[in-house]
Amino acid sequence: MTQPLLKIENLQTYFYARSKHSFVRAVDGVSLEVGQRETVGVVGESGSGKSITAMSIMGLIGAGPGVISGSIHFAGTRVRQNLLDGLDKYVRITEKNNRVMAVSKDESGWQKHSEKLMKNLRGKEIAMIFQNPRASLNPYITVGEQITEAVRLHTENKSVKEARERAIYWLEQVKIDSPRLRFNAYPSDMSGGMCQRAMIAMALSSEPALLIADEPTTGLDATIQSKIVGLLEELKYETGISTLLISHDISVISRLADRVAVMYGGAVVEYGPAKSVLGMGQPTKHPYTAALLASVPSEQKIRDKANLQTIEGDVLDTINVPAGCRFYARCNRVTPEIREKCATLHPGLKEVSPGHQMRCWLHCS
Amino acid sequence: MTAGRVQEPEREIIFMKKYIQTSGEIGDFSTLPVWQKYAIADLVYVAYGLLIVALVVVSYVAGMFAWLPYDPQQINMDAMMAPPLSEGYLLGSDFMGRDILSRLIMGIQAYFLPGLLAVSISLSGGVVLGILSGYRGGRVETIITYFTNLVDSFPRLVLILLVVAAFKPDIYYIMVVMGITGIPTVATAIANKIRFLAQKNFIEAAIALGLRTRVIIVKHILWYNCRALLIIHATIGMGEAILLETSLSYLGFGVQEPVSSWGNMVQSGANYFLQGNFWPSTAPALAIMFTILGFNLLGDGLNNILEDRREK
Amino acid sequence: MSRTILEVKQLSKYFHRNRGIFSALNRRSDAIPAVDNVSFYLRENETMGLVGESGCGKTTVGRTILRLTRPTSGSIIFDGRDITRLSDSELRPLRKDMQFIFQDLDAGLNPKMRVQDILREAVSVFERLSDAEAAVKSRMLLDQVNLKYSKLSSYPSELSGGEKRRVGIARVLAVGAKMIVADEPTSALDVSIQAQVVNLLRDLQKQLGLSYLFISHDLQVVELMSHKVAVMYLGRIVEMGLTERIAGAARHPYTYILWSSLVDKHNLEAVQTGKVDRRAAWGVFDFERPASGCRFAPRCPVYERRGRPAECTDPANEPQLRDVGGGHQVACHFPLGS
Repeated sequence: MTQPLLKIENLQTYFYARSKHSFVRAVDGVSLEVGQRETVGVVGESGSGKSITAMSIMGLIGAGPGVISGSIHFAGTRVRQNLLDGLDKYVRITEKNNRVMAVSKDESGWQKHSEKLMKNLRGKEIAMIFQNPRASLNPYITVGEQITEAVRLHTENKSVKEARERAIYWLEQVKIDSPRLRFNAYPSDMSGGMCQRAMIAMALSSEPALLIADEPTTGLDATIQSKIVGLLEELKYETGISTLLISHDISVISRLADRVAVMYGGAVVEYGPAKSVLGMGQPTKHPYTAALLASVPSEQKIRDKANLQTIEGDVLDTINVPAGCRFYARCNRVTPEIREKCATLHPGLKEVSPGHQMRCWLHCS
Repeated sequence: MTAGRVQEPEREIIFMKKYIQTSGEIGDFSTLPVWQKYAIADLVYVAYGLLIVALVVVSYVAGMFAWLPYDPQQINMDAMMAPPLSEGYLLGSDFMGRDILSRLIMGIQAYFLPGLLAVSISLSGGVVLGILSGYRGGRVETIITYFTNLVDSFPRLVLILLVVAAFKPDIYYIMVVMGITGIPTVATAIANKIRFLAQKNFIEAAIALGLRTRVIIVKHILWYNCRALLIIHATIGMGEAILLETSLSYLGFGVQEPVSSWGNMVQSGANYFLQGNFWPSTAPALAIMFTILGFNLLGDGLNNILEDRREK
Repeated sequence: MSRTILEVKQLSKYFHRNRGIFSALNRRSDAIPAVDNVSFYLRENETMGLVGESGCGKTTVGRTILRLTRPTSGSIIFDGRDITRLSDSELRPLRKDMQFIFQDLDAGLNPKMRVQDILREAVSVFERLSDAEAAVKSRMLLDQVNLKYSKLSSYPSELSGGEKRRVGIARVLAVGAKMIVADEPTSALDVSIQAQVVNLLRDLQKQLGLSYLFISHDLQVVELMSHKVAVMYLGRIVEMGLTERIAGAARHPYTYILWSSLVDKHNLEAVQTGKVDRRAAWGVFDFERPASGCRFAPRCPVYERRGRPAECTDPANEPQLRDVGGGHQVACHFPLGS
């Protein structure tokens, strides 16, 4: 097997929530792999740490008291390195009773070092598309110019003319109608869906090895969402770009991802091929994944006007991470035999079937 | 976290910023002692500001019971231009032999009530206009915007000189003018705050619930959301009043001799500054500086303490 | 048959751009119709879903009904009383019966007030209560929305999204509303919390006999909650009828596209087995052109397939809602299935 393009090992990202005077363990021991030409989906609710994982990869955690540890190995054709190499020199953490008590950080040193590490990568090897496309585009520069700029900055096409042609090519690729016309449009002249397409074109125009798509369809209208999903699907087969797709929308993930990681409370609770993680017929499921799938209104439920199946309780706040299973407080599958284990021991990622891992005492005791 | 980091970092890092976790479920903030709850700087600001305010009280009490070293208006030709720390005159005396310390203590009274008057005029006017403009909107807003622009575009000093010329150089007249010219700033600030709240559906939610307009304005807008803003404007206003009186005294339009004010003390003392007698003007000048600083810091500190917490 | 609690007749709301000293001169040219000639009614203990894409004016309809903005024309009859032209002070007592749930979770939750103060304020809007009575009532409200009493002393910033929503609903129930306009009450919430809120709203309807105008872009939730549905497009209702009819047997091409994009995206089983009906012919372009005649024509596949008939773009002949049987109304020259 070839080396994966991106290999995250035991990533931990902590934040200091100023208003709450506490550390948030936004990402707590996440390991993930994105192979060549593979789309890995990360699904989870707010506070599950999925976006923070993406930001950690992009080196956007610098500001404030955010700290990262673990390693992120990136192995592209041009660059190979650990994206977090040597960052831990700038932080010191004091822990007590499995709880972070204090963090000391040399912020400017951290920032400088992080910039150095990411300089040749961000936007070039790893590109990112965000949730709010209109906010991510500069409103005072035409869309075409912005893409041209990206092309000139990150690829061999240095002349303006070449770069423009390239930009138009990418606008065509994302199915923007009459791209030559749209080239001169400002973001404010375009609809949300068009802006998202332009964002995707811009991300792809630097021909990155890895694309991180953070909630690419959230906030768009239903009809446009399904169009964007369709576009991403086509691009996946046409360009074969490795993608880390982050979304709270299971249907988006299930349509696009080859492998899926389900995150809850900062940890990956289930990880494996999309079919076995999200497929309906699978008997072994993590209770959280099963509950998530069931809370989406099914056609049957709508027809019967039945009440929806809910997950009791609230999304775990990652300030007070429990000692046991993170999902224990809301889990409806706890049996008397395993109750004690669930409450006190954090389950490890165990393989339940080839390539399909899970953190649950029910399935892997 | 990985253990390696805690043990011996490669080099000693000096510029480390420390963040602490507090106890309780979500870092229970209310259990913290005051000095950890708020930024130290804010507390120092407020403490210093309160000290200045305390001095005002001291001045009135001392003045009332005549607990001053000397009568501030008593002329003593035998002790003209006594240097500071000379016998009986802690801060020295001026060209007429009047005790500078006593004059400084009484001088504060030249500002306090007039300053309060100015501040209350600009705050009350600003609140009324700001609420009308922000809450009612529409044509009222347009009219108020034009009015505030009109007032703003008039040089304040010229206006004051006109009033002084038309009536008499009285500090209260001056402060009324100052209060009126301060209205636009407060009104704009409040109107903007209301617009911001409206944007967050805050006011609409209150209306939809059925709350009385009076309750919405007084309780939700003014008390909960504008109090910090009003405090900061009040303290800045007090500082400004002092500054204005000083500049007017320099022109001879401020508080009139023999009543002492810091402004006329600086002005009369300045004539002797170049002769080497620096104290008659320096002492009040320093007093002005530290007092204005005190009022501004008080407003700043209170603003930070009242606003920043709990919001983010 | 139950009583009609709300009737909206030919409601229009125009927004004006360029407010300023010259606004009186160019007012006409700058009027933007956010809501254009919308009529419907809502019965007691009934839920009406209002769906459409963002910017179609569905929120404006909700806000106008509660008179949070003044309608440009048309009339709103609430509980047999015309409230279109009432003054603010005349409206106030009516607010006891009609309430609004805002999309923004923080709306109405003053960040500097504890939950108990927020609820105490809400229960004492229309009646004078002693502190003890207000406390009892606040606890009762928390029971109704399934919140722990321990949350009473929390500040809104300490609550999670679901808890904030529950407090928001409790605040609305506190005054004893009969009709609630819910503007995207679940869109800001997580999937697992969404289901809780949907169930809560439905239970409350059963217990208290509430009527909802449920505004949402989440078609599944609307389908689950509503007895009938109105679909809006660019300020107009293009189709309206019983939920089953709208979801299952849509007559307007737009409604059909809306629901098929849902199937396209959400039917996991079909996606995984590759049995997705692609409906390739139903391409929707994600841009909007100003149109004369039928607003949907520029995006309409039927218009395209029929060879762009002239009546669709005839400015004098904008399609009006007409009955196609069983209370099902559609505004289209060439409704599907005919």
